[in-house]
Amino acid sequence: MNRTFGALALLFLLGVLLVVASPSTGIKFGLGGDEWMKYRYTDQYYIEHGVEEVGGTNIVTNIVFDYRGYDTLGEATVLFTAIAGAVALLRPWRRDEDEE
Amino acid sequence: MNVLPYLIIVPLFGAFALPMVGLAGKKARELWAVLITAITLGVAAELFYTVWKGGEIIVYTLGAESPLGQGVPFPIRIVWEVDLLAALFILMVAFVAFVAVLYSTEYMSHDTGLEKYYALILLLEVGMLGIAMTGDLFNFYVFMEIMSIAGYALVAFRNDTWEGIEAGIKYMFVGSIASSFILLGIVLLYGQYGTLTMAYLAKMIAENPTFTAKVALGLLIGGLLFKSGAVPVHMWLADAHPAAPSSISAMLSGLVIKIGGTYALARMAFSVFSTGIDTKTVGWIIILFACVTLIVGNAMAVIQTDMKRLFAFSSVGQIGYILLGTGIGLAAYGSDVGNIALAGAIYHTVNHAVIKALLFLVAGAVIHQLGTKNLNELSGIARKMPVTSFAFLIGAAAIIGLPPMNGFASKWLIYESSALFNPLVAVIAVIGTAFSLAAYIRVLFTFLGRPSERVMDAREPGKAMLVPMLLLVAVIIVMGLFPWFISDRIMIPAAKMLENAGAYITAVLGGA
Repeated sequence: MNRTFGALALLFLLGVLLVVASPSTGIKFGLGGDEWMKYRYTDQYYIEHGVEEVGGTNIVTNIVFDYRGYDTLGEATVLFTAIAGAVALLRPWRRDEDEE
Repeated sequence: MNVLPYLIIVPLFGAFALPMVGLAGKKARELWAVLITAITLGVAAELFYTVWKGGEIIVYTLGAESPLGQGVPFPIRIVWEVDLLAALFILMVAFVAFVAVLYSTEYMSHDTGLEKYYALILLLEVGMLGIAMTGDLFNFYVFMEIMSIAGYALVAFRNDTWEGIEAGIKYMFVGSIASSFILLGIVLLYGQYGTLTMAYLAKMIAENPTFTAKVALGLLIGGLLFKSGAVPVHMWLADAHPAAPSSISAMLSGLVIKIGGTYALARMAFSVFSTGIDTKTVGWIIILFACVTLIVGNAMAVIQTDMKRLFAFSSVGQIGYILLGTGIGLAAYGSDVGNIALAGAIYHTVNHAVIKALLFLVAGAVIHQLGTKNLNELSGIARKMPVTSFAFLIGAAAIIGLPPMNGFASKWLIYESSALFNPLVAVIAVIGTAFSLAAYIRVLFTFLGRPSERVMDAREPGKAMLVPMLLLVAVIIVMGLFPWFISDRIMIPAAKMLENAGAYITAVLGGA
């Protein structure tokens, strides 16, 4: 019964997301012209000002290391956390160490 | 001087430096962790004082003077936005983290791999501080991931116990799904509105509320209810808290489910969405979950025989009160009732963080000294461990909401506002408290009963475990002595600031 309910909920969610992903009711794809300026104004700003403000010619690195560098620091921290967590959980058990 | 950046710099540096400091020996890394959390607490106190005195929202842009780009009216950089609510929760996080780290120095002395433990606990703190201070939607997600991943690893930290690993796996699977819901919500919002800054997004949603925004809100609420342990999705919490080391349970129950759950929910609902959506509907949805959470969480607490599991279910029940306050705050948006309910929810968040941290530290002391958390074996601890039992008594009285303790005022605000809002909801809240009372009275009688054989050779834990507990007891009693002062001076202004989404938007956009 739980499984049926879960499947129905997933189906409902899928339906809603399909509505959202259809251009007439939700998000538009392949933006161009006026719509580009309406929905992607921040991207346009990065493209126009990235080279003079940051100095790099690669826009993606301009964004991830300058405009949104703090997020990159956060991602590095996520990696550090994941490694620390994995190493911590894969350490030998306490009992084994006592026997040595 | 603006102290805001040091709130992230200090604990992050502490965490990254720990593998190297750890080389200097066992004492050095404990001292390092305590020192780092103490400095963070100092910075947090300074920040809270500044925001509270100044009474305005602090905005900090990373990398430039102004969040806005040259000649354009929209923000292009990541901003931090700290209002009174965020500052209050930052102080709460820094305090409980400091207490938990101090407690760990003795409590974790039998465990191995401690340099990773302290690194992870500092990262957990970084994640929570980042969530509280950020004003950027994707940045919020990044810090929620830091907090969650550190949380998964710490729950399963005792890798030689089967329950630790089981709870860790369960928490990780469920938590990852919840995180991806939140990410999906953020993706939809970006696709529709083209910005990630919360304040500008709020403005865009207000101008053009679309179906996409509603779906995104639904996904965000779903994910955040997962993280806060509301009832249909509370099962990870009931396993994670008993299995984690007690210092971690204290942080999980006191902080993680609130910062990553109810705080983020309130921030999204009030600051980002309240201008564009029907707050009444969203409020009622949250109230519905809150009522179920109240009843189920507290009722399940009554029948537990495992002490930490009991506290875990009680945490679920208390989350119900916080959600109830938030929900009424949304449903009665802008009225006095809504304001008081929201103030009650904020107050209860802080109170419950302190109380539940104390209760889990008490449970940790009992486990550390006796090696069992089964309530049936623990009768008569009060004779052998009087200080610990006294701390439990204070914590239990506070969580039920007896008048001299801090829990009274916050619950009173929630009862009062829910009774004014809808009497039926108030009745449910009172039933929840009745269950909670039954659960804690039962534990109390166990503590005060005739000493069982197992308890006969128990002793009090050492200073490093008693001092954190007594620190929390002192906070509970002091906060309990000035309940209305605190609620008038801090909680109601914080609630007002949260409700005022316009001020949140203009703080970043500079009146634009």
